[in-house]
Amino acid sequence: MKQPLSVMMLSWEFPPRVIGGISPHVYFLSKSLSQNSVKVYVVTCDFPGTPSHEVIDGVEVYRIDSYKNPAPDFATWVYLMNLNMQKEAAALAAGLPDKIDVFHAHDWLVATAGIGLKHVFRKPLLVTMHSTEIGRRDGLHTGTEKMISETEAWLTYEAWKVICCSGYMVSHVRWAFGLPEDKLVMVPNGVNTRVYNALDGEDLRDFRSRFAAPSERLVLFVGRLVYEKGVHILVNAVPKILEKVDAKFVIVGSGYMKEQLLNIVRSMKLEHKVLFAGFVDDETLLRLQKCADVSVVPSLFEPFGIVALEAMAAKSPVVVSDTGGLSEIVEHEVTGVKVYPNNTDSLAWGVTKVLTDDGFRRYIVENAYRRVQEKYDWEKIAQQTKRIYESVLGEYSKSFWA
Amino acid sequence: MRVIIFSWEYPPRVVGRLAEYINKLATQLAKQDIETHVVTYHDFLTGTVTEPTGVQTTRVANPVHTHIGVLTWVLTLNQEVERAAANIYYNANKHIDLIDVYDWHFIPAAVTLKNATGIPFIYSVESLEDHRSPGTNMPYNMAIKSIEWLGFYEAAKVTAKTEWMRDEIVRIYKVPKEKIAVISPEADSWVKDVLTVYDEVAGGAKSR
Repeated sequence: MKQPLSVMMLSWEFPPRVIGGISPHVYFLSKSLSQNSVKVYVVTCDFPGTPSHEVIDGVEVYRIDSYKNPAPDFATWVYLMNLNMQKEAAALAAGLPDKIDVFHAHDWLVATAGIGLKHVFRKPLLVTMHSTEIGRRDGLHTGTEKMISETEAWLTYEAWKVICCSGYMVSHVRWAFGLPEDKLVMVPNGVNTRVYNALDGEDLRDFRSRFAAPSERLVLFVGRLVYEKGVHILVNAVPKILEKVDAKFVIVGSGYMKEQLLNIVRSMKLEHKVLFAGFVDDETLLRLQKCADVSVVPSLFEPFGIVALEAMAAKSPVVVSDTGGLSEIVEHEVTGVKVYPNNTDSLAWGVTKVLTDDGFRRYIVENAYRRVQEKYDWEKIAQQTKRIYESVLGEYSKSFWA
Repeated sequence: MRVIIFSWEYPPRVVGRLAEYINKLATQLAKQDIETHVVTYHDFLTGTVTEPTGVQTTRVANPVHTHIGVLTWVLTLNQEVERAAANIYYNANKHIDLIDVYDWHFIPAAVTLKNATGIPFIYSVESLEDHRSPGTNMPYNMAIKSIEWLGFYEAAKVTAKTEWMRDEIVRIYKVPKEKIAVISPEADSWVKDVLTVYDEVAGGAKSR
């Protein structure tokens, strides 16, 4: 096998274009792969004020002319954008001094580009399925949703390997598209511990006092204020927790449940104990996660649960509901506390336990931080991903395409 | 000479007049000792067959069954057209002289193949979106026009069946007149005219 291995990442978002979780994922994965002597070419959509080609942390980033005429609808735009992406990526790959060894697509948003490139260059295609349409919509109800789901099925069919970020997603994707077990591989999502460690020397007392009194423990929730995130479970648990320990509950994020949650808090006459901080900037969020005496993730549905990992990286103890990806991230009473999903008493018990037992808190925080470094470090994830590329290329070399 | 024709209709799937025209053209080309491949769409007659006339036909179906419009159907089907054409290309030791594309539907596949492998293509115009949907400029029509424009821009040569159509292409898309050859299917010299354009495009490819 020639060195270095070269991969073309296809992603519809890459910083500074950030729409969801794919953008930071592709950024950290690409950067870490290039630090592991993999040559990475990212092909992504253009963004105002960014050049069409630049090198970011060793990664070659090419921004294509995404289709900018008015499109009939979002899904049709995706396929039109893919036409341009495929065209420009084909010219790029053909013109490179080294051949591309692997195409790596992220979600259906780049499906047709990835499938076309695979066939015209006869190179293996890998896909990371970050989510599925049937999971996002809880079923397929419209023509658009069916079309997207069938495109996802086609993409996973064409892919040599399908990467998912949690064991939960592996079984979900396997079920959704009827894939053979050996086609799926789990590589967790990573978390960047460095941004939290960088704050270690900083005195955060003044910052903390903007949110909570020194006598109050700070309980943090970060997430969209929507039903599936279970924030209402936490709000309902507030009086039970306050019976045992003085605390301030800081809710970061926005969503359609905000008014409803405010009404619950008002009816309990606990406005002075629950602070709705809304959407906050990155700098504030990192510091809040650093200051939190406990971070709560009470989700009812959670494919991965990056918020819990971030808290673990920030050395804040976590209490999570035992569901989806969260079940895998947290080991009960070792790296955090797992509570029954959709159960106020269980959640109150978990939060109280963490806040009242200092020795236990220190123990889970240390374990959690070590776990993050062992398992969710981008360096390790890049090495795992590189091994997948190498094993796919090993199989490929014995195929008639090689 | 080895040629692939892309057409979204071909017997037994006859939508308009294009199917019969491609059938006639491919048969004539095969008679002239041109290795002629047709890549087309069919719902269930899929795979590669060699027709009695010597034409090799690959019919592809769309892997995505549910669609919300012609555009999503076309833009997904193009990947299967690419796959079929790439199979012909690699089986022929990467030697295809040109691709002749009829109308806008499979322009995306031709453009990707050109950019990836250097195979030049001819955009053969049957009709234009401006004439099919006169006076409408909805996002749907604009998208088809943008694909037609891409075809004119990336093609090595454009063919039109009448001088009127050639002038319309010049008027609407500002394509240089000398890039467009008029090939009348009614003329006695029809096959010869087609071959002249093919030679020009294939020769151009060789000299690159």
